Amino acid sequence: MPISVKYKAKNEILQKFPKVEICLKCNTCGLVCPVQYAGFSATETYVNSIFSATEPEKNPNIWLCVSCHKCEEICPYEVKPTEVIEALKDEAFEKGYAPEAIREEINQVLATGYAFPIFQSLHFINRERERRGLKPLGDRNTAEIKKIAAKAGLEGKIAGGKTK
Amino acid sequence: MNERFAFFRGCFVPVRLPHVEAIAQKVLPEIGITLTNLDEFTCCPEPVGIGINDKMTWLSLAARNLAVAEMNGLDIITVCNGCTYTLRHAQHALNKNKQLRDKVNETISEAGYEYKGTAKVKHFLEVLKNDVGAKRLKDAVKYPLSGLTIATHTGCHILSPREVMEFDDPFDPSTLDDLVTILGAAPADYDMKTMCCGWTLMTYGSREGAYALLGSKLANMKLAKADCMTVVCPQCFYQFDMGQWIASRKDIPRYDLPVFFYLQLLGLAMGYSLQEVGYDSHKVKNPLFEGKIKR
Repeated sequence: MPISVKYKAKNEILQKFPKVEICLKCNTCGLVCPVQYAGFSATETYVNSIFSATEPEKNPNIWLCVSCHKCEEICPYEVKPTEVIEALKDEAFEKGYAPEAIREEINQVLATGYAFPIFQSLHFINRERERRGLKPLGDRNTAEIKKIAAKAGLEGKIAGGKTK
Repeated sequence: MNERFAFFRGCFVPVRLPHVEAIAQKVLPEIGITLTNLDEFTCCPEPVGIGINDKMTWLSLAARNLAVAEMNGLDIITVCNGCTYTLRHAQHALNKNKQLRDKVNETISEAGYEYKGTAKVKHFLEVLKNDVGAKRLKDAVKYPLSGLTIATHTGCHILSPREVMEFDDPFDPSTLDDLVTILGAAPADYDMKTMCCGWTLMTYGSREGAYALLGSKLANMKLAKADCMTVVCPQCFYQFDMGQWIASRKDIPRYDLPVFFYLQLLGLAMGYSLQEVGYDSHKVKNPLFEGKIKR
């Protein structure tokens, strides 16, 4: 079954990502995409659902992509769906549509320098580390992280998202 | 040969999988890799949750980590596909785009750093393959894992995009199979070998989808008569161990397929016991497998 992209939606995504126009809808990407297990298939592909959504940056499915780049590796026409999805995530994050889990993880890194929650569980983590003959988890230089993130504009983006 | 590396432990390994950190600190020095722990390293930062959502912060914090290694005159060794992906991406982006590099350097100069591009980033798998080499690895094997069939899962982010990662074929990776063969075991030839572990899918999107994916991968490994499986990334480890354990309560059949970080298998072949390589921290255990580890 050939996949057709809805025209109204197509115009919207095409304006942002002109390369999508060369997509042949051959569905080869669907064969190697791990997201097919989350309700898509090799014919009803994940990439097609991304390319045909209206208000693509609000499409919750963009967050399913694992950035494995397999679609990009196998695409015969260099469409690079990963680039499209990543740009949509970036836009969604800035506009405040990112899931809470993403926001939390970013705050975690800013607050501790670790991508994992270690506030309440530090005692348990260190008990396990000690059992393995390792030093306790060290403090990371969060002052420098915050300085760099502020300069790079991240904190402004987080604040912008929260007001939505 | 004695190679020195800055040990980039990342977050997942020291926080959730200390036994993997411990086995790395044990076995790598024994084969001539000296690890230097640098307290200045931070989260790489994690690529899918952070990198994609704010590229400038991602590249800048990654550049800071690279600069830390440069200031210490060391190359980086990683134990995580995600860390490798982030640091390689940053290098690739900054080396080919001078404007971006200047902008990132201006950002990290706030904290007194400069990215020069002098430190290499190597996943431990690359160090084993290229720096240590087959001969020295073979010499380290005292108790070959003969009779074992092992399903290898190399994972996604160490392979793609291939022009950035420059490591192995994304659709037919052979490095890990070769390294399993060196240990005396046979790699399992199974379907869906290069399909993702599902960790990221579970974390940010669909638990059901991730478990369906996990179940299919495990079924194929079992079909290929795997006694256990091996990974080189902590996220993959957690998904195949903890994920398998949880999913098998309801979502998938019970496969009881133990999963090992490759360095644990190397440890077993060098003569460490299951307990010493940290098997007691695993969720999925299998007495049939344990019986095949001869001493």
